[in-house]
Order: sequence, then C-alpha cells, then structure tokens
Amino acid sequence: MRFGYIFVFAGLACAAGKTNVLFFISSDCPISNSYAPEIQHLCGDYGKKGVSCSLVYEDVGIDESSVQKHLKEYGYTGIPIIIDGRRKIATRSRATVTPEAVVIDTKGDIRYRGRIDNFYAALGKPRQQITAHDLRDALDAVLAGKPVPNPETKALGCYIVPPDILGK
Amino acid sequence: MAALLPAADKVTFSENIAPIVYDNCVTCHRPGEAAPFPLISYEDVKKRSALIVTVTKSRYMPPWHATHGYGEFADERRLTDQQIATIADWVQQGMPQGDSAKMPKLPQFAEGWHLGKPDLILEMPVGFELPASGPDVFRNFVIPLNLKEDKWVRAVEFRPSARKAAHHALFAYAPAGSMARIDGVDGKPGFGGMGTVGIAPGQGNSGGLGGWAVGGTAEFMPAELAMPLPKGSDFLLQMHFHLTGKPETEKSVVGIYFADKAPERNMTAVGLPSLFGFGAGIDIPPGEKNYTIQDSLTLPVDVKVYGAAAHAHYLAKEIKATATLPDGSIKLLIWIQDWDFNWQEQYTYKQTFVLPKGTRIDAMLRYDNSADNPRNPSNPPKRALFGEESFDEMGGVGLNLITVNKEDEPALQKVLADGAQAAIRRGGADGTAKRYLEHQAARRPAAIAPRSIITLVDRQGKAVRTVGEQGSYSQPALSPDGTRVAVIRNDQGKTHVWVLDLSDGKGTQITSDPAPHTSPVWSPDGKQIAYISNQNEVYRKASDGSGQEELVYKHPAGPAPFITDWSVDGQLCFWSGDAVYALPLEGDRKPVVLFSGAGARGGRFSPDGRYLAFSSNQSGTFATYVMPLKNPAGKPLQVSKDPALGGIFWRGDGKELFFMGLAGLAPNGVLAVDLTLGPELQAGIPRQLFRPTGVNSPAQLSNIASRDGERFVLLAAPPASPR
Ligand code: HEC
Repeated sequence: MRFGYIFVFAGLACAAGKTNVLFFISSDCPISNSYAPEIQHLCGDYGKKGVSCSLVYEDVGIDESSVQKHLKEYGYTGIPIIIDGRRKIATRSRATVTPEAVVIDTKGDIRYRGRIDNFYAALGKPRQQITAHDLRDALDAVLAGKPVPNPETKALGCYIVPPDILGK
Repeated sequence: MAALLPAADKVTFSENIAPIVYDNCVTCHRPGEAAPFPLISYEDVKKRSALIVTVTKSRYMPPWHATHGYGEFADERRLTDQQIATIADWVQQGMPQGDSAKMPKLPQFAEGWHLGKPDLILEMPVGFELPASGPDVFRNFVIPLNLKEDKWVRAVEFRPSARKAAHHALFAYAPAGSMARIDGVDGKPGFGGMGTVGIAPGQGNSGGLGGWAVGGTAEFMPAELAMPLPKGSDFLLQMHFHLTGKPETEKSVVGIYFADKAPERNMTAVGLPSLFGFGAGIDIPPGEKNYTIQDSLTLPVDVKVYGAAAHAHYLAKEIKATATLPDGSIKLLIWIQDWDFNWQEQYTYKQTFVLPKGTRIDAMLRYDNSADNPRNPSNPPKRALFGEESFDEMGGVGLNLITVNKEDEPALQKVLADGAQAAIRRGGADGTAKRYLEHQAARRPAAIAPRSIITLVDRQGKAVRTVGEQGSYSQPALSPDGTRVAVIRNDQGKTHVWVLDLSDGKGTQITSDPAPHTSPVWSPDGKQIAYISNQNEVYRKASDGSGQEELVYKHPAGPAPFITDWSVDGQLCFWSGDAVYALPLEGDRKPVVLFSGAGARGGRFSPDGRYLAFSSNQSGTFATYVMPLKNPAGKPLQVSKDPALGGIFWRGDGKELFFMGLAGLAPNGVLAVDLTLGPELQAGIPRQLFRPTGVNSPAQLSNIASRDGERFVLLAAPPASPR
C-alpha cells in the first residue's frame, strides 16, 4: 500500500524520512474531542522518538479561525494541522471516522489505521479501563522495524462525511 | 427495498424527518444543551446522516434505558421501528430536502427557569475544576441552606454550568455541618465518592430530594405530595461528570420550589433489596458473568405507585422488578437490560396505579464481572463485594409510592423497617457491616491525611526547622510559648493527641482510649490541652500527659464540634454546624452562642478578649470577620477582601490578624491584616505572606503561629524516600 504521493496532493508538510501519524478529528464530535489530551500526549511521547504528528480536520466547512479556536480550547499545541475540506486525505488514507489514526512509515507505506485505543467499547459505552493501546503498539512496532501486530482496527466515533454528500 | 416503496412514500426532510428530530432529539441537540451538536437545520442533520442511522438503529439515541413495555413511563424517549426505518430510507434516497414550506415549527423551549422563578436559588459557593480527561468524576457538594423553618419541596430545578460534562445529579439534605469533616479535605470543593448521598447511616436527619439526568426537565410533584426539607439542613448535590477533552468548571445553580404547607401524604421509597443490597451477601467472583441477587416483599396494605428508579455500580447488567398481584396476574414494573451507570434516571409512570394488599414485589439484579463487560472497573476482573467505591457493588430498585389509606402508613413502615433490620442482621453476620464501617472510618480526614512532617516556617514561608519524625498528622497547634506543638497523629486509623517538643522532637501521647480525637487546643499558660473525643465530648488534660483527662462538656449529637481557641479568661471557643460558641470552663459550663448562621466557624478571641474573629459566608463566599463581643450590636467587620476560611490567629498585641485565603476550598495563602482596635474597629488591606502546605480544613485550626507572629506551624510533604 504505497502512500508517498498524498503529501504532494494535499500539501501536507510531511517530514521526509520520518514516521508520520495522521489524526483525523472533528471539532464537534464528542468522542474525537475527548481524545484531545491523549493525542497531545502521544505526540509528545513519540515526537521525542522522531515521529511526526498532524491533525487533519474533517468538519464540514470549518474555517481557519474556528480551527484555531478549537486548538486552543482543547489544549492542542505544536501539532501541525490541515483542513481536509475536500476529504482528499481521508479518501486516500481510507479513514472513515473521527477520531481515527493512520501511521505512515518512512517509505510512505500505511502501516496502521484505526482507533487510538479501546476506551470506547461502543458508541456511548466508555470502558472503565483501557485494555488495548493499539496506536502506541503500532508506533512501537514501526519504530522497532517490526510488523504491526494489528494493522487495522475499527475506529469508533463520528463518520467523516464523504465528498459526494458535501454538495456544492 | 427502495423499489418496494410506493412512490408516495418518498421521504423528505421537511415532511418526514424534521418532525421526528424535533420531537425526539432537539431537547438535547440544540445550542447550550448537553448534546454535542445541534440537530435543527437540514444541513445539521444531513451531514450527520450516516451516524444518525447508526445510533437510531442501535437505539443508542435517543437515550432511554428502560425496556419498552415494562412499565409505561411519562416522557419515554423512544423512536418507533417505523420512524427508525423512515430515517434509514431517507438516507438511502439521497436525503431530499423537500418543500421547506412544509417544515414543522421548531419546538419552543422556556428560557431561564422551566418552572418559573424558584422560591430559593442556591449556587455552589465556589466552582469545581474538572480536568480535561481521565475517568468519570463523582463529586458531592455541600451548599448551606440557612432555612429559618421547616419546608416542603415540590420541585428542584437544576442547572449545571459544565453542560457537556455534567451527566447526572442526585439531591439530598443532611444536618448542617455534618459533612464539614470531609468537605474540601482534598483541597477541592466538596468530597469524592459515589456513595448514595443522604442515606448513609449516622447522618441523623437526612433524606433524598430527587435527581436530574441529561435531557431531564424539572416537574412539580403531584399536588398532594412534597418532600420534607427541615431547617438546620445543608443541601447536598452529588454529581457525575464525563470528561470532555477540555478543562471545565462546574458551578451549579439549583432552584427550589416550596409547597405552602406540609403535604397530606408522605411519599415512601420502597427499596428492594433493602439498603441497596447491604444484606444480600454480594460477593461476585472475578470472571462471573451471571451473578444475581434478588429480594421480594409482600405489601401489607394497598399502595399507589408513582415512579421507579434503579441504582447499581458498573458491574450490573440487568435490573428488573415485577409485581405479582393476589389474583396471580403479573404487572411489569421496570426492566433495564443494559444498565448504564451514566444514565441513572428517575422514571415516572404515565399513570399512577394501585397495587393491592398481598401483592408480591420481586426485584432481581444481574452482574457481569467478566473481562467482556467493558464497564468493568477492574482489569483483570477482581472479586467485588458490597461497598460504596466504584469497584464495589450494590444496587436495587426503588419504587416511589404512598399507601392508599393514610392510616395504613405505619403498617407499611413496619414491613420496611423489618426488611432493613433483617438486612442489617445478615450484613452483620456475613462481615459486610464490619467491612463497611472500617471503610467509613478510613474515609475520615485524619485517617486519610498523607504522611507529612511538622515544619516551622517564617513570615516568608521559608522552612526554619522540622519537628520530630514524619507521620500522618493533622491540626497542628503551636504552644503559646512556641516551644511545643500539639497535633493529631493517625496510626493505623487511630487518632490521638500528641505533644512534640521542639528542642528534641520527642513526642508524648496525650490521649489513650480508642475513640477518635480531634481539635487539640492549648490553654493560655500551656499547661493543658483541650480536645474533642468520641465525636462530641470536650475534654482537657495536662499537656505533659500526666493525670487523668477531665470531661468538660458534651455537645448534643449532630454536626461535629471543633475547638479553635482557649481564652485568657478561661473560655473555650468551638464551632459546630453553622454556629460559633463560647464555653466557660468554670461555673455552669453552658455554651453561649457567639454567632450563628451563614456558615459561621473557626472563631478566635482577640488577646484582650473584647473581639471575636471568625469565618462566615454571609456575603456569599467565605470571608474573615471581626466583631465586638461586649457590644454585639456592632455589625461584624469583614477584614478579608478575597475568599478566606479559617487559620485565624491574632498576634499577641492584637494589632495584626492572620487568616487563610481560599482558591476553591483549598487554602492558597496565609494572609496578614493590620487592625486598629480603638473606639472604632478598623482594618487595613490584607497582604499575602506565603502559600501554606498540608492544610486540609483550615476552619479546624487553632494556634497556627507563635505569639509574636514570626513563626508558623505547617505540615510539609516529607522528603522523597529513596527507592
Ligand atoms: C436526552 C438527551 C438526548 C436526546 C433526546 C438525544 N440525544 Fe443524541 N446525544 C446526547 C448526548 C449527551 C450525546 C453525547 C454522548 C456522549 O458524549 O457520550 C449525544 C450524541 C449523539 C450523537 C453522536 C454519537 C456519539 O456518541 O458521538 C448522535 C449522532 C446523536 N446523539 C443523535 C441523536 C438523535 C438522532 C436523536 C433523536 C432521535 C438524539 N440524539 C436524541 C443526548 C441526547
């Protein structure tokens, strides 16, 4: 699953030679928002290990100033953002839900797509204890040059509106 | 599928979808309400259509947890199968908008108070800060009521400020000040835990006042009913929060509506099993998927049923109650099949109904303690016993009812009391009672005081020296000559008064009996210590530990008293509930009220005995006041500017007063203010000296400083122990 060209496509400043994580989020999805502190933590922890994070906004018609407001409100700092207005990045990554994470290795291959962890067992059913840290496990494997144990998991949250019903 | 639909069934937003959404979703999905986004316009609904299909098909939305058909409830939130199919069809047909002229009218929601202006509006005195993320937060808040007479409540309307985080709330009342010993001990407003507020044993006159859950609207009780709210009570608010990803502050406002007079009839809550399963021997092995408890009760008289409620913690899956009438017919009362602690609602029956004498009510709760239960608080699963913590279990169904005939009330009460007695006996026999009481004792602040070391600091807060060994201490008090410290020391749950010598750090244990001890206070000559033992008894004893202790006074049962001063002319100053008293140590030893109401606490006599400094929330928030004692007609003078509570101490010459500033309910500064006690009492502008450490309940402190105001006694975190 070659991926290199999406960067050119979307104008995403993806650091060459680095492992990248894309976080697909939206500003009015409660599950996506509840992950803000964990995303910030993850980017801090793995930033130190050379991983590059990006936040990909999938709201319908969100503008730059609303994004800035949202970043501030939820305490996001130092993570590059991109507004995926035409769903190009989501489509290429085959991300369908916010929040969803996609890990791309240094060669541009997608190595992981899915949930950040299993905090939600179902919509409206948060766990009392997280028992699977799928994204962290995937990143650890990629950094260690090993195969990712579970390269694809089901992300739970709000659906990304596909381009064909965006209209106009 | 679509091909089978007749052409006339073309589904449009205006004609078919908007009516469904307006009737079933917008109460919550509109700006300013609990749900995360509005569902009002065509665009709002269209862009979320796929998710809406998912959540309506799974019946996650609209949220409703009682099984349809088991009890007919007012305000049942439920889409019909037909409506769910219509939404799916609309999405399948490409979500046509249709003729916007045919849109239904958006329902009107009352701005402000739903039930009109309340008779009493309460507001949390200080906001409670919620973190951005983490496990759910349970918090109990105490709001003083200051009622002058007994009241009856017809409705409680609740307005949380952290709209998206607040999930549900339970209301109750308890004797004023009875929560003082746990309120704010962790430095934040209120106290933690998900215990059932208002029903814990030993709280005296307390009771429930209903509740609120997301999407709920306040309603008046039926005209013939009202809930009692006695004077001398505090209002208790237990809230459950879901963290949202960003920090929020909760500062709820509560509106209370009173009835004109006492109600004719008293609503009784019949709980099954009794006491939330205290006597049910709950002991759920790890991995057990189908652990059940059940209980039944036969009604001794005819009753009229108004509503039902369910309660349990995280392991519960299923909660069910049925009634078997004397003629053998069965009435379904309530059935929750996927119990969700996050949605504890009060269910009101659409129509009240009578259950005749001889009806048997059966309640059943099923628990899943396997790893497959995503709500299991323990991973891997652990044995769960009866208890109040989130990893413990309890639970039951409550039916709100009255006896059909007023004179039958005692007969019903007797059956309920017998049930409770039986539960207590069983709980005593199987060890539940012992575990429960030990747990309650361990929750007392002295018992949970972290390890610390007694430390003297200067006016800048710089540590000058430490005293003795580290331990679990609270309420340190410096002797008047500044050579010794009296303190409560907690060893394995036993709290004793100790006196430590500054010169060599050696300690003497003053008290010996196993009763809990609090509030050590020095006599002005340093030869004696007064303290509280056994909850409400005031004792004194020689400060070198010699001789016998002397019982000075026994305070009536109720809120715990705390001694905060011993004057030169031989009076103790203590507070209890919302009143500050002077207790003469000679003569009749009858306490005199110095100030009562408005959260009064933590009193200290001026060195010349002419004034009293104390804390009160008469202005809305806690502040420090000084009032003349000889001429009590004088209004108390507020000497603090920002919120302040306790830690009050007069410098020996009476010209400077120290007290503690508050952020939330946590002391955030030792402040000093200059005073002129001339003919006219005057106060300067308070200045912050330093930030105190280790102070949990500042209103319980006595001598925080030396007579010259140069040294302060604090509890500091012990130096990190090497691993
Ligand atoms: C009683 C209040 C209430 C009603 C009525 C209600 N909702 Fe919700 N809804 C909520 C809350 C609260 C959430 C956020 C859930 C959370 O954060 O756990 C929510 C979330 C959602 C979500 C996002 C799913 C998620 O968990 O992220 C959708 C979609 C939704 N509701 C649709 C609907 C629809 C459609 C209706 C009407 C048929 C409806 N809701 C009625 C309170 C309500």
